[in-house]
Amino acid sequence: MSDTDFTASPGHTVGVELELQILNARDFNLARDAADVIALVERSGRPGEAKPEITESMLELNTSVHPGYEPLARELLELRDRVSAAGERLNVRIAGGGSHPFHSWSDRRIYPSERFRSLMERYGYLAKQFTVFGQHVHVGCADGDEAIYLTHVLARFVPHFIALSASSPFQEGADTLYQSSRLNAVAAFPLSGHAPFVQSWEEFLGYFNRMRGHRIVESMKDFYWDVRPKPEYGTVEVRVFDTPLTVERAARLAAYVQALASYALAERPLAPTAEVYTFYNYNRYQACRYGLEGVLIDPYREARVPLREDIADALAAVAPHAAELGGAAAVEELAAGVREGWSDAAWLRKVHRARGSLSDVARMQSEVWMGKSGLGI
Amino acid sequence: MATFLPQYPFAANPLLLFGLLLLAGYAGGELVQRLLGVPRIVGYALVGLALGASGLGVLDARLVGEAWIFVDIALGLILFELGCRLDLAWLRRDRWLAATGVLESALAFVFVYGALVIFGVEPLVAAMAAAIGMATSPAVVIVVAQELRAEGQVTERALNLVAMNSVIAFVTATMLLSWIHHEYQAGVVMALLHPLYLLAGSLLLGYGAAIAALALGRWLGKSERGQYVLALALVVVVVGSARMLEVSAVLGVLAFGVLSRNLDARHDLMPFDVGRLGQLFVVVLFVVTSATLKVGELVSGAALALAFVLARFAGKSLGVLALTYLSGVRRGAAGLLCLALTPMSVLAVAMVRGAGEMYPEFGARLAAIVLSAVIILDLVGPVAVQFALKRAGEAAPEETAR
Repeated sequence: MSDTDFTASPGHTVGVELELQILNARDFNLARDAADVIALVERSGRPGEAKPEITESMLELNTSVHPGYEPLARELLELRDRVSAAGERLNVRIAGGGSHPFHSWSDRRIYPSERFRSLMERYGYLAKQFTVFGQHVHVGCADGDEAIYLTHVLARFVPHFIALSASSPFQEGADTLYQSSRLNAVAAFPLSGHAPFVQSWEEFLGYFNRMRGHRIVESMKDFYWDVRPKPEYGTVEVRVFDTPLTVERAARLAAYVQALASYALAERPLAPTAEVYTFYNYNRYQACRYGLEGVLIDPYREARVPLREDIADALAAVAPHAAELGGAAAVEELAAGVREGWSDAAWLRKVHRARGSLSDVARMQSEVWMGKSGLGI
Repeated sequence: MATFLPQYPFAANPLLLFGLLLLAGYAGGELVQRLLGVPRIVGYALVGLALGASGLGVLDARLVGEAWIFVDIALGLILFELGCRLDLAWLRRDRWLAATGVLESALAFVFVYGALVIFGVEPLVAAMAAAIGMATSPAVVIVVAQELRAEGQVTERALNLVAMNSVIAFVTATMLLSWIHHEYQAGVVMALLHPLYLLAGSLLLGYGAAIAALALGRWLGKSERGQYVLALALVVVVVGSARMLEVSAVLGVLAFGVLSRNLDARHDLMPFDVGRLGQLFVVVLFVVTSATLKVGELVSGAALALAFVLARFAGKSLGVLALTYLSGVRRGAAGLLCLALTPMSVLAVAMVRGAGEMYPEFGARLAAIVLSAVIILDLVGPVAVQFALKRAGEAAPEETAR
């Protein structure tokens, strides 16, 4: 089987990848204990998996494939507890959030593996600057054509995903004024952005083979698109989320993507249109910069819409599908958060104002992720 | 003759001494680093040996006495940082690490004591030497780790083990004072109360400083510069007060570090790093302490010194190898930890000096054994630590752009 054959996934199954921060317990800067943490998590059994990422300060967690929200949320909590326990034994902290508030990229060290070394070779400092932390959500598709359709429809909702997960207000010790500054680090890569506007899996393969023919890419992995089909898993993968501060929120965001996919594929409410990509960068920027307070251009109606309203409408529209998949509560909680204007980024700023130190921000980020304290201040 | 001109011969003063030692030491460090690729502190120590009692004799007992104030400050800073790195919450979570610290110290004591007694050393001297041998040199491990910008499990665990064995060694040595007093017929009151006064006094001093640091730190807020000055000032105050009150500066500063880290429930204090200023003192620290070492005694007592070094290494290694894997680090880390715990240096010199203060004759016999071992380990120790941290993959890579 070649890496471009699309593996069919039954139902709209869902799975999550989370990139996490490993902090030292002294000043809560990024540590470099990924290898030790991973080895300890492996020793603690199944399910789920811990893997290295590009620098030694990062940890990636993969869940198994789940039919819906509840088992996914359960596994994420279980994984969190195992990873936290491993961290405690090694005296490191594990944190969510899309960026570390004050580390310097030049201090980072590439994880010693062939693949990551070659990325460093290829991309130079971008590889180290890529020490940002995202959540990827996979939803299963029946075939390649369905995946292409879903890719274009989900692209319309990319600003939602960004605003709902935004948790990277600080970079290198400074407030960026962005709600999600992480995506600016992704944008520097030559193969980032969005998928081409193709109409079928066959057309998509044509595009892919052309790119491969020019030796621009070797495999699908080389595209760093915001939303991309992942044929070997039989999924569409949404990659724009910042890693939220808690696994609970990570599970809710996955429930939203799953409900949205189910809604789109069952009701086909939107036809794919290239107009989504006309306004794509502007809408994405609005979400990154202003979060829920952003304003986007609805490509279907050609109208300016406050992002907050747009998300509330979409959450209401997918609610019945969420309920079918067992994720009604998750989508309702997201909607309540939107009504009160909650964002992880705002919480991080509030902590910074209250404590006056980014080291405390990083520390509290880790306490919240590890379940040792709540989101109060 | 005009009277504004200085009189010949010129009188050196501590300030001039500090500057010159700094220059000489640093040059030596740079030389060995460039020529041999070994840590700079090996060079500082060699310069000390060359200038001191074993070499040119420029740094004689009087000058060493004058320069000793810098040793006190430097050692204070190092031990304070070490104390701050001892994370009691970690030891509670990872009891195997705590157990490793206790076991390797205990075995080092037993092995060294046994070896020395077999060689015919009298039990009291052997016990005190063994107590001092339990401690790994904090200065060497901290300075080498800093020079390599090392970070990771081996580095962190080594530093925590060093903090533990330094405390254990110091407390044991203080308790042994009872025995010495008894041996020299100093009376029961002296034998019982002196160690007690030393321990309680030093701990209280450290505790007071920690409370002051917490209060002032909260008031200052999260200002890196402010908190650095605060810590520096309090360290010097503790060292000075310890001198005044005749308690132990070493234990006082260690306690100050451990308590200020572990009582800081609200995270008001920022982590302390001796920084550039500390590095200046470190150079002088190694030069001056090495100047007191006598290579002649090593030559005459080589067998004994070697037995001391090997027994100590065997004891520590056995303790570390037995328990480290249980605390969850990768395989291979334990062996590297053994190497990282070999250095013996400044702290040992200071402890020998302290033990010999009241009974110089006892001090001389102790020094002949311990300081001979220090000469060996002063040169071997830093290299061992450097090898261990590099091998563990925890040193900063020397990346070159292509």
